[in-house]
Amino acid sequence: MSDIMHKDKGSILGPLKSLAFFSRQPVTEKLEPREASANYRGFHVNDWEVCIGCSTCQKVCDNAAITMVRIPGLPEDPVKGVRNERPAIDYGRCCWCGLCVDICPTSSISLTREYVHTCREEELDSYFILPDPNGIHGKYFPKGWTKSADADLVDLERQPMSEMKPKKRRDNFDEIVDGYTDQQAIIEASRCVQCGMCHDSCPTHMHAPEYIRAIWEGDAEEAVRQIYRSNPFSHVCGRVCTHRCETACSIGRRGEPVAIRWLKRYAMDSVSDKRIREIAAEDKVDYVTGKKVAIIGAGPAGLTAAYDLVKQGHVVTVFEALDKPGGMTRYGIPEYRLPYDRLDADVEVITSLGVEIRYNTRIGQDVSMKDLKRDYDAVLVALGLQNGRSTRIPGTENEHVRSSVDLLRRITQGEAIDVLSTVAVIGGGNVAMDIARSLARLQKQAYGKVGMTVAALEDFDHFLADPEELKEAREEGIKILDSRGPKEVVISKKGKLKGLTTLGVVSIFDEDGRFAPRYDETDEQLHKAEMVIESIGQMSDVSLFGDDLTEQLEWNRGRLQVDDDGRTSVAWLWSAGDMVHGPDVVHAVADGHRVAASIMKYLES
Amino acid sequence: MSKDLNIWLDNLLEDIESVQFRRKSSRRVRVDVAAEALPALLELLQGHASYVHLSAITCVDWIEEDEFELIYHLWSYEAHSLVSAHTRIPRDPGVYLSIYDLYQPAAFFERDIHEMFGVYFEGSPDMEKFILTEWNGPPPMRKDFDSEAFVNQTFEWEEYRPKWLEEIEAEGGGITTRPEDVRR
Amino acid sequence: MRPENYQAISQPASNEYELNFGPNHPGIEGNYAFRVKLNGDTVVSARADAGYLHRGFEKLMEGRLWIQNIALVPRICVPDPVPMEVCYSLAIEDLCGLEVPERAQWIRVMQLEMSRLAAHLFAFGGHAATTGMYTPMFWGVADRDLILDRFEELTGGRVYSIYNIPGGVRREVPEGFLGRLSSLLDYLESRLPDYDSLFFTNQVFVKRARGVGTLTQEKALKWGVTGPNLRATGLAFDVRRDDPYLVYDRLEFDIPTEQGGDALARNLIRRAELKQSIHILRQVIERLPSVTGPIRAPIPNPLAWNVPAGETYTRVESSKGELAYYIVSDGSDKPYRVHVRGPSAMHAVQVLEKLAIGSRLEDIAQIMFSLDACPPEVDR
Repeated sequence: MSDIMHKDKGSILGPLKSLAFFSRQPVTEKLEPREASANYRGFHVNDWEVCIGCSTCQKVCDNAAITMVRIPGLPEDPVKGVRNERPAIDYGRCCWCGLCVDICPTSSISLTREYVHTCREEELDSYFILPDPNGIHGKYFPKGWTKSADADLVDLERQPMSEMKPKKRRDNFDEIVDGYTDQQAIIEASRCVQCGMCHDSCPTHMHAPEYIRAIWEGDAEEAVRQIYRSNPFSHVCGRVCTHRCETACSIGRRGEPVAIRWLKRYAMDSVSDKRIREIAAEDKVDYVTGKKVAIIGAGPAGLTAAYDLVKQGHVVTVFEALDKPGGMTRYGIPEYRLPYDRLDADVEVITSLGVEIRYNTRIGQDVSMKDLKRDYDAVLVALGLQNGRSTRIPGTENEHVRSSVDLLRRITQGEAIDVLSTVAVIGGGNVAMDIARSLARLQKQAYGKVGMTVAALEDFDHFLADPEELKEAREEGIKILDSRGPKEVVISKKGKLKGLTTLGVVSIFDEDGRFAPRYDETDEQLHKAEMVIESIGQMSDVSLFGDDLTEQLEWNRGRLQVDDDGRTSVAWLWSAGDMVHGPDVVHAVADGHRVAASIMKYLES
Repeated sequence: MSKDLNIWLDNLLEDIESVQFRRKSSRRVRVDVAAEALPALLELLQGHASYVHLSAITCVDWIEEDEFELIYHLWSYEAHSLVSAHTRIPRDPGVYLSIYDLYQPAAFFERDIHEMFGVYFEGSPDMEKFILTEWNGPPPMRKDFDSEAFVNQTFEWEEYRPKWLEEIEAEGGGITTRPEDVRR
Repeated sequence: MRPENYQAISQPASNEYELNFGPNHPGIEGNYAFRVKLNGDTVVSARADAGYLHRGFEKLMEGRLWIQNIALVPRICVPDPVPMEVCYSLAIEDLCGLEVPERAQWIRVMQLEMSRLAAHLFAFGGHAATTGMYTPMFWGVADRDLILDRFEELTGGRVYSIYNIPGGVRREVPEGFLGRLSSLLDYLESRLPDYDSLFFTNQVFVKRARGVGTLTQEKALKWGVTGPNLRATGLAFDVRRDDPYLVYDRLEFDIPTEQGGDALARNLIRRAELKQSIHILRQVIERLPSVTGPIRAPIPNPLAWNVPAGETYTRVESSKGELAYYIVSDGSDKPYRVHVRGPSAMHAVQVLEKLAIGSRLEDIAQIMFSLDACPPEVDR
């Protein structure tokens, strides 16, 4: 149905209609380039201070137009997750679709309103550009297509991890964290952009992008295989690691980092223990070298080294003073964070490869260092830090002033300890939280209520313990005070412990950064307590070496001195783990690998 | 009226044994039929069920099952419904009947599929090359033809040497990851 | 076809000669070759020769992630890229079961109609040029430029907007955009009388176009003609009405038809559709501010997105006819097969060849433009 009239006869006056155009304004288009719209997809700019070189833009580019270029001089910090690489774009291939802008985790790259670039054929190199904050020609153009909240292609929210409610968990040591379901794991694993920052920042360089991808593909066994390339303590690390990977995760720049630690736990829990043992044994050599290595201490450092050594065909014997393996992971970390059977599963993988652990054998007592030097080709000392330090404030000689490390060991061993109804803890690190929360549970079991106060030097903005620990401890009824320094343990005339007095903290470090706390003498508080627990640091008991050996070794402020490979000044002796590098599980694992490589090189020569 | 037509067709197709029938929504129907029976089905649909419009013929290369799947999409102006008739032919001879006598638009699609997949349609009026008139290689849409590999072998890529890259390389930096390294 | 590969055909009759129409010819829309054999001025046989715009999109799309293809897809049809993007996104949403938020659906309808306006202005401008009337062509291209300005403001790109993504659209409508679009529609409506007197009712054109390339309804149905070309033969079929998608079932619009089936009728249909598109756009402009909500349904990280296995056939009404995508997914992060069925697959090849026979040399270009045969869709 047409609504226009067709006259079959034309009119001679028809052309006169065009006279009307004399009064019309012509439509004029300017010749010079005009400013583009606010949303325009023009040439790229990249803010080098925000860009971390994660190369996610390179992965999403559909024309393979982006190349990563390393630029010396830019900041490079694997721990924080910053690389000194920046994207370079081939404008012969780019189609200016803007997907790179939409997926950039840090929102550093954007498109401006610039759109003119001409060159002659000899200048074709000008098509390969390195976008920087100044733009392709150095002229300022306002931004066009930039990151927008409703079109962000990265998923900024993590899958929530469910855990036991405070009411249910306050009086028992059952594991708090539930772990991911299959569907949650796949969704969480899909958030990963495979940038590899986690791999760079992990102390033992775990192949996290690979195992996350395997989880996403539904192949938990492949994930376990990738995990075992670098960490045989993954049931443990999947629960309690300090997750430097998550700090470096590029998604964590603007959102919540990928839950790399929980995904590791999911992969390890999804595969049966038997199958994990088979996967770990896959690349074990089938010959025996005839060399023997002794390892003192069945903790993460010692057992990781044992795992590497036995897979290359060496005979390994581990001497453990206590009656169960694991070291601090068993005797320091409470069961509600790390169930013992999971730790046992990790250790069983290592013993199933042929490592012998002799329990209840204390070096220096049952066996001497001389015996080890005679019977073995190399010895690794990985004792850990078994003893707690003391503040030595007045009153700490009382029998009810205890060290956290000692108490945690007794609780793990199932010894009956004095559970008193009001307790004060000095210290604000993760170990302080561990002992406070463990004792709070025992108090709830014995008395039905919690009487626990924690006094830490640091203020809440700089608290040493993890924020999750703090939150969960408060939920369990523990009172936590910041910026309080211990003054005195108050003892009554009859020798009964009445409480702890603390002073307000003015500053912790002096101008040179040394530890020298200053207190406000006028701000004194008394915390009623029947027991005071000190959790201010750990140290190692090195008496096992004996006088001669202690003479020969080199020491640094009470700690054994080792080189980068873990060798001491004595040719056949190595040391690794907490005792040389400070308390941290994954650093101990990394140490174990390093030391094992060094021992293997020594044994071959 | 159109709803009745759909109901009649659904009932009819369900009764036929060699035809697998599934109505996906009010306007989409999927029918799976053996290769010998397809022309008869199309005649039925065109003649009796008013499916006069052939929208497209698609070919899918299921290389792992060693089969080509041919899908005939038919639309009815009266019933407002689309029937996709799926059939499979073995990959090796890759020969099938033409339906040009039923639907004239088939000539274009059959010629296109012949060129791109190598399937020969007997009885189609024109099986000569149309789009790739100077191509002598294998039918390019088959899964065993890797077009990226072909491009990399036949053509040379231009290397860029811009000034800024030379300056960076002088300082010790340089290209770390090329886009080809991360393509999956 | 390279010159060295050209093979001359033997001449049977003395007054028949072969003419290569295209690929570079102002009478050809796009790059397309049309070999006609003429007897004097009359076409005796015609053969289409495509391939000058073959970029291998169907193969390319199999090697890229689902989201990377949104940059490839608009390039399949150059004058009217938006229906391509929308059809691709609709197909993926069908496979995934994604629910597109209502606001995004209205924005998509707005884009589709704007693109239809732009494509029709281009098409009948081109048709005018083939008859030697260049002024309507310049007018058409200039007015289309104003529509492209609106696209630039909304999507960031003038022609290839790359604005639709599976799940919705990529950016929110800018402030004041609806007002500017509305004044643009006023302007276009005010121009229609000019177009009418210069072009549509101008006897110079009407006499030229009447009776050229006549299609009857039976022939049209037999040859698989769709879109405005089919409506010009009297059959009121429009995918928006009979196979509705997005929010077209809530909009009010007519389906114009003509009875002639010749080039003039097809042109008049396009002019009538201009008015209908303007009418639809006004409804959208009125409705859009009150439709709130997100502009996108959330999709997983595009680098790790597996679309569930399945297949779907999605159809859209582009300005040229029925556009359909057949996508097969095998459950991985890349498409297994994407088949693009452009409307010009029928029009530019068989229909054009058959209609050209018997027409005169000067009318071939007119037939092609009046059919709005778009070679990029044929070649992909």
